[in-house]
Amino acid sequence: MISAKIQKRHREGASVAEFLVFTLPLLLFLLILYGTLFWNIYVSMANWVSTAANYTFTGFKWYTYLFHQTRFWVDVQNNLKWLILGVVPTIIAAVLLAYLLELAPFPGLESYVRTLILYPVAMSFVVTGTIWSWMYQPEKGVFNTIIGGLGIHSPFSYVNDPKTATYWLILVFVWQYLGFSVIIIQSSLRTSELQEMVEAATVDGASKLRILLSIIIPNIRSGILVLVSLLLISTLKVFDIVWIVTRGGPGVATDVLATNMIVTAYDMRLASAGAAIGVIIFLMAFIIIIPYTIYALKKWFE
Amino acid sequence: MKSKSTTLKIIVLVVLVMLTCVYLLPIYVMLTNSLKTLPEITQRTYLAFPKIPQFQNYTVALFGSPNFLIPMGKPIINSTIITVTVTLLAAFFGGLGGYYLSRSKSTFSRIIFVLVGIALYMPYQAVIIPLTTITAKSGLANSHFGLILAYLIINIPLASTLMGTFFLSVPRELEEAAQVDGASKIQIFFRIVIPISLPAYASVAILIFTQVWNEFFISLTLSTPRTQTVQVAMAMTEGSTISPYNLQMAASLLTVAVPLLFFLFLGRYFVRGILAGALKG
Repeated sequence: MISAKIQKRHREGASVAEFLVFTLPLLLFLLILYGTLFWNIYVSMANWVSTAANYTFTGFKWYTYLFHQTRFWVDVQNNLKWLILGVVPTIIAAVLLAYLLELAPFPGLESYVRTLILYPVAMSFVVTGTIWSWMYQPEKGVFNTIIGGLGIHSPFSYVNDPKTATYWLILVFVWQYLGFSVIIIQSSLRTSELQEMVEAATVDGASKLRILLSIIIPNIRSGILVLVSLLLISTLKVFDIVWIVTRGGPGVATDVLATNMIVTAYDMRLASAGAAIGVIIFLMAFIIIIPYTIYALKKWFE
Repeated sequence: MKSKSTTLKIIVLVVLVMLTCVYLLPIYVMLTNSLKTLPEITQRTYLAFPKIPQFQNYTVALFGSPNFLIPMGKPIINSTIITVTVTLLAAFFGGLGGYYLSRSKSTFSRIIFVLVGIALYMPYQAVIIPLTTITAKSGLANSHFGLILAYLIINIPLASTLMGTFFLSVPRELEEAAQVDGASKIQIFFRIVIPISLPAYASVAILIFTQVWNEFFISLTLSTPRTQTVQVAMAMTEGSTISPYNLQMAASLLTVAVPLLFFLFLGRYFVRGILAGALKG
């Protein structure tokens, strides 16, 4: 009896110690993170308009303020361009390239290509943005020098042209994320079931294109889903490239929610309006990330 | 899936040449222009080779000069302090949290998992104003701790999932045997699990190091002249009249040097870290 009691108390002591060591640190940091998130939501409904904090509740005043600004809607449009053009071309290019590497007829090709296209993941957008804004210079920039060298007068003024500037910025993102996307696709291509199915189809005489479209793509759905979510989130949060290359210009042509947020909150000192933009970005991220998190949850605890 | 067709060989060759050009061009531009003299730069022949490589450009970019008022030396030290501290703490606490998530099947741990999953992708814009207030009010604004705290709250959830993914794949036999011998979970973790998980810790550390070193938004809003990080200093060289392009490119090279060396020499860990981060579980 007594020894059972001691044992029970001992076990309780052990589980308290386990909680303190394994769970508590993570819990504390999550608490700070979600604390700041809810604090920010409150700020977005307060009336903080100068350097001094003001927590008077004003409801959705600052959201209405944002919705009445053309700049906000320009941002939303630009963010949508990023979401679509930053994700779809990257995934198509990544799938084609990963498949080409699978078929690779040259030895050593794969490790070469991998190093070649993956090194940008080690670089910051601040640096890539700096280099690309050089290459994009309309006069004597690197690209226009190359095009001029071919004897063509280049029609492009890249990020200086308000109509197309955002697309040129997105191109930098695609360049930077292609290698990352390829290795994720590759890892879902390399399951033994899929390899066997491809072998069988090859024996049956199916063409390479047909194998790609009707065997490979349907079978790497989950890899593609993961990649889509990751790229969507990265394009939604895009800040660095825009800030470095154009700072939202010319005018507000390339402005996105994240750059608007920092200008509103820190340059214009409208903390509440800035917080509201933060909440809007969070809600969009939340919608993207929930299906992915549920998928991960099922996989994790299965 | 190897193939011997000639058309395929041609396609692969064309793609290969294109990729090589597109991916080496920015590096080529950065390297060659960082070694040029100012007169060479003002001619704006960015594709030309430097006549005589000016290696002293790197010293100027590091220590500054009347021509270059944003010396990268101090920011590199600041970023090193912040990044190394965050990496070590996030890997340590992430290991503990990840072990919990990988061994507990309770409802509570499922809730934590979802909270962690959302935290991984938390846009910084949604938490930055309170973070600015916290660092200002607590007097952390002028020390590195403000930035360290800000990075920890994002990177500990990340490290937890990455380490947890790895722990899920570790066979339980050893742990069960130790449990039979009367070892506590904590003893098992520190004496058995950590030693066999060192490669996973290395992957996670490299990934977090790169991410924190390259982070720009938080350091732009939270860093002060005393704690200025390398990315913020680099961004200040952009478009400013006080930094000639050759020195700006030299500064770029200094900014990417550390993570790029990690990538070139520890590429294996790098790729493993990325895959673990992408395909949780």
